[in-house]
Amino acid sequence: MTEPVIEAVDVVKFLGHGPGRVEALRGVSLSLTGGELTLLMGPSGSGKTTLLSILGCILSPSSGTVRILGRSTAGALPEELAQLRREHVGFIFQSYHLFPTLTAVENVRLALDVCGNRSSLAAVKAHAALATVGLGAKTKAFPRELSSGEQQRVAIARAIVGKASAILADEPTAALDSANGQAIMSLLSEIAKDPSRAVLVVTHDPRILPFANRILRIEDGRLIGEERCAGSALTTPQPDARE
Amino acid sequence: MPLVLTLASRNLFHDRVRFVATLVGIIFSVTLVTGQLGLFLGFERMVTAMIDRAHADLWIAPVDTKSFEATALLDGHERFQALPIDGVREVIPVIIGFTYWRKPNDGSLTPVLLIGVQLGSGGLQPWNVVEGNPDDLSTPDAVAIDQSYFERLGIARIGEYGEIAGQKARVAVVTKGIRSFTTTPFVFAALDRARSYMKAPPSSATYFLVRLAPGTNVEAVRSQLAADLSAADVLTSDEFRRRSRSFWLFGTGAGAALFGSALLGVVVGTVIVAQTLYSSTKDHLIEFATLRAMGSSRGYIYTVILCQAVLSALIGFSIAALVGVGLAKASAETALPVVVTPVLILGLLVLTVGMCAVSAISAIVVVTRVDPVTVFAR
Repeated sequence: MTEPVIEAVDVVKFLGHGPGRVEALRGVSLSLTGGELTLLMGPSGSGKTTLLSILGCILSPSSGTVRILGRSTAGALPEELAQLRREHVGFIFQSYHLFPTLTAVENVRLALDVCGNRSSLAAVKAHAALATVGLGAKTKAFPRELSSGEQQRVAIARAIVGKASAILADEPTAALDSANGQAIMSLLSEIAKDPSRAVLVVTHDPRILPFANRILRIEDGRLIGEERCAGSALTTPQPDARE
Repeated sequence: MPLVLTLASRNLFHDRVRFVATLVGIIFSVTLVTGQLGLFLGFERMVTAMIDRAHADLWIAPVDTKSFEATALLDGHERFQALPIDGVREVIPVIIGFTYWRKPNDGSLTPVLLIGVQLGSGGLQPWNVVEGNPDDLSTPDAVAIDQSYFERLGIARIGEYGEIAGQKARVAVVTKGIRSFTTTPFVFAALDRARSYMKAPPSSATYFLVRLAPGTNVEAVRSQLAADLSAADVLTSDEFRRRSRSFWLFGTGAGAALFGSALLGVVVGTVIVAQTLYSSTKDHLIEFATLRAMGSSRGYIYTVILCQAVLSALIGFSIAALVGVGLAKASAETALPVVVTPVLILGLLVLTVGMCAVSAISAIVVVTRVDPVTVFAR
């Protein structure tokens, strides 16, 4: 059996202080393995984003254990967590969070730059990552010159360019129309075919269920269900529908 | 170009209004500092110009002389005590005194500082001579004045006469750029004529310039002179320069005022740059949070901010330096010359970069507090 890319064991997370303190996660255990696209679904306030933040080493659990490729994050300092993120985790955000003053290829290169990879090879890798997401012809475009779907593809290219083992996506299709949402999920399911990569997608969107290999349901900070699926409904990236 | 520099420069140039405001702040600040420090350097040169031009190894001066423009007199025996000392080659008298110049055009009086020099001695002489010759001071009634004081002295050209202490004074030599810190015009005359104008005793002098033979131990001669001359100060040229600077630039408060204004310029510049960098960083906070979420180190983010600060500094400084050089050229012939030297330019560059780096601290504090989890909130 292959080692999980990310493993969480009995994770508890309290948020806030004093009377406003809430238990956002109540003993969550899961593992994400390479070659799988996992959907994490649940209503608002169920703890999805908190769990994503903990699995992505942005937040530390109040108790419980998180391991990234077998390495525990317990007791890690903020800079050590940052190092884990840049080496092993690629994030995709609902609002893309591209840098508006950088071109598409510069946005992608930035992920390598923060890792200290500043060689000429970095530019080659960034171009290749953009080609992978179907934007090989728009490498010099600024985010404002790209459609929402294209911007999300740049964000995906940024997440995968560093060969991160875990791709964590927070509502990646929420700001997209149906066609673009399908195209983005196709890309993510292609990425998830790589056995060295695990893809976790937090979503409300039932339209993307067919792309999942596994669906986790969370409610009130607890995982309440897990389904195995065929996955990969669409495996070919769809042409972008400009919004 | 490194990507971190690309990001910093694009962030900087992205908001042009804020960028212009930053540059205006830096230019204002650096120009103010250049002006004040340039004036200080100009005053410093004025204050020590006579000492610099005298080329003396030692100065025998009246006790507690504060600056070159002292008016006390030595009776002259000092010269004869100095001459026999081993290593002393020459002892040259110079007499200084405030007196009045009667203008030839309207007969009114204006104060002048009379400098009596021993001609042909190689000691203090008028310099930057543009009309006439220093040796012309040996002709009857001859004096040397600076062309910048023509109007003050009621003189239109060389050869015209004024009057000092009821005696004729003919402008025989004209200089350019010998200006006084006190704004009182300098008038050079031969030593004996100056004594006559000042009604000073024949062997008296304000200073004796001591010149030593090559290889002489200056300190040894000074110690001996100081021991022999209890009623006079014996100073090296450097000591005399320091005394003069200290008296005019700090004793009078002029230097403190100039440095105070320069400091104010630095503070204003720092505040303006800090404010604009802070607001720029606040506007780009989500981008910094994204960088943090991507795993960038804090150092990487600080580098972006510092690059912005340094870029602002370099661009602002370049413009301000041109303004400063223009200011120096425009003021060169005035009573308040701003002197801009390569060392001053280099110092201002370091100061500007330092000022902008300090300004970045507030922005860095903001970024230090950024929580990468905020990237999920939008």
